[in-house]
Amino acid sequence: MNNVIHLLKKDFQLDFRLKYPFIGLILYLFSVVFLLYYSFSLGLKTEIWNSLLWITVLFVATNAIAKSFIQETNRNLYYYFISSPLAILTSKLIYSFCFLCTLCVISFGLFSILLGYPGNNQFWFWVNLLLGCLGISSAFTMISALSSKTNSAGVMMVILGFPVILPIIILGSSNSNILLLGGSITDISDNLMTLFSVDLVIIALAYILFPYSWRS
Amino acid sequence: MKKLIKYNWWKYICVCLLVYVSTWGLLSDVPRLPILNETIRVLHFHVPMWFGMIFLFLGSVIYSIKQLGNPSDRNDLISCELAKIGTIFGILGILTGMFWATFTWGEPWSSDPKQNASAVGLLIYFAYFFLRGSITDEQQKARISAVYNIFAFVALIPLLFILPRMTDSLHPGNGGNPGFNAYDLDSSLRAIFYPAVIGWTLLGYWIATLKIRKGLIEIKIDA
Repeated sequence: MNNVIHLLKKDFQLDFRLKYPFIGLILYLFSVVFLLYYSFSLGLKTEIWNSLLWITVLFVATNAIAKSFIQETNRNLYYYFISSPLAILTSKLIYSFCFLCTLCVISFGLFSILLGYPGNNQFWFWVNLLLGCLGISSAFTMISALSSKTNSAGVMMVILGFPVILPIIILGSSNSNILLLGGSITDISDNLMTLFSVDLVIIALAYILFPYSWRS
Repeated sequence: MKKLIKYNWWKYICVCLLVYVSTWGLLSDVPRLPILNETIRVLHFHVPMWFGMIFLFLGSVIYSIKQLGNPSDRNDLISCELAKIGTIFGILGILTGMFWATFTWGEPWSSDPKQNASAVGLLIYFAYFFLRGSITDEQQKARISAVYNIFAFVALIPLLFILPRMTDSLHPGNGGNPGFNAYDLDSSLRAIFYPAVIGWTLLGYWIATLKIRKGLIEIKIDA
């Protein structure tokens, strides 16, 4: 547990010292939303707003979480000696979830300012979005651990990741679509539970499989 | 797998079943159903492809798990070859499905949730082969691809079996459509359909064992 806290602290400190990866991602996000703002200047339907938000979050996630293991390839051997793989995985999962949530909040803010927020049911919309973020961040963390072992990590990340997170995106975006179009929690409670269980399955798998991908 | 490679009797069963399926499946009487008409005979060639694919992928995942517990060239080879044949079955399943859909749903691709899910499922296994290609170290390749194989197979389950049931689908058995039972209950069809599933799955394993035997010989020569 102590290890987990130290590793988490290291990750956050690294972000505070080297500000460019985080600021770079925010700039990336800003350019994407601005591009969308120009392309949809005539106004857009709620369904399209929703799918654009999910696609933006997805693309930011591929870039953001790719760095969790890929940037560490030269330090891997060191971690291998000082802590257990499960501690490393736990710290990475928490870190990438926090990181993706921050980016998600920022992208939602940019979307609301530039493209307007079409819904009104705030609370469950956020619950759904955060559950989606949890699934995406944990699946991508695992995929990033795998793709950091290959020769072309950046491309691998996208190719391996997309099919795996597709169920999460389908569930999440259909839920938020129903909410934005005026549905209530009773309409989506089943789907929300399914989304949550898919998240749990992915996290459980990551814990089972990560030690094997780590040992090399 | 050891037993499948060693014995031959199941290959005779496979040949008998497939001869039976491809003759009697085309000649026997079929129930007259609107829209489907005679195309219902594709049932014996389309649906078993998916069953075969799932069984082959299951075998591949089992050998991936074995590979993680007990790393060896043999387990890696078996898992990879089963995945390859499974992918071929998947492609055939999509092609026969598109062929069938052209005559019943009016177009080869009608963005049916099961069609989309199966296309994504194939994408996962293409990614698996791509992953294998991009790692040069043999042991690393075996381990990383085994991890991805298990991870992706479990991710495939909600995609293939849970999500399509939650939305309307043109396939029978989900949404507001008549159940699979509408034609499956017909005993004459069932008498051909079940042998077809077994026959095509056995054929898949047969092809895989040939490739595995070749691979094992190559490993022996290299060693």
